[in-house]
Amino acid sequence: MKKMKSLNKRRLGVVVNLLSLASVVSIFEYGVIEQWNTFLKISGFTAIIIFIVSLVATFIKTGLWKFTHKPLRNLDEREIALTSKSLRYAYSIFTITVLILLLSFSIIEKPVNIVLVVALILFAHLLPSAVIAWTEKQTENE
Amino acid sequence: MENRKIYNRISILRIEKSISRKELAEKIGVNFQTIGYLEREEYNPSLDLAFRISEIFELPINVIFSTKPLKPLSQLLIE
Repeated sequence: MKKMKSLNKRRLGVVVNLLSLASVVSIFEYGVIEQWNTFLKISGFTAIIIFIVSLVATFIKTGLWKFTHKPLRNLDEREIALTSKSLRYAYSIFTITVLILLLSFSIIEKPVNIVLVVALILFAHLLPSAVIAWTEKQTENE
Repeated sequence: MENRKIYNRISILRIEKSISRKELAEKIGVNFQTIGYLEREEYNPSLDLAFRISEIFELPINVIFSTKPLKPLSQLLIE
């Protein structure tokens, strides 16, 4: 029961984190197309705060971040197997997402902006940990 | 290829030896969480790890691990 609760909490954290990252990009895109106003600025700032808070709560405090950001020699065989599984899924998800985004941007003939590039770099780093957060029954600090 | 489930007696042997998960983990060089996964039979150890565990408990591998569900030790004693 406790395990199920923590898994659901982690999954919610992943959804909130990735949605807040997408929101930052969307708000920036909208701000560039339209005019930057106070509402957009506050929304953008709030999305960044939500992103940072959910990043710390879901990935850093739970110890999930370490799997893909620690040298292999510091992981045991189960952790290495888990990391390679998560990287395999993350690679597929990331490739498809980037290709769809690039295709969409080329169809609407819009240049790719720096915020999107930064968001994609963050996304690439987050995805393997997100896959582990989504699938693992228990994490180190639970 | 789908892995077969490997059953084990790690939990009971660890309790018998009065060692914590953390101590066992340090002795065999894994994260303490991995011991939990092994005891719940949610992770199949490599041959190297299985040997390390058998060396700690000073028992042959086939006494600790099996591909078939293991009988409780109390039942084995009666038999």
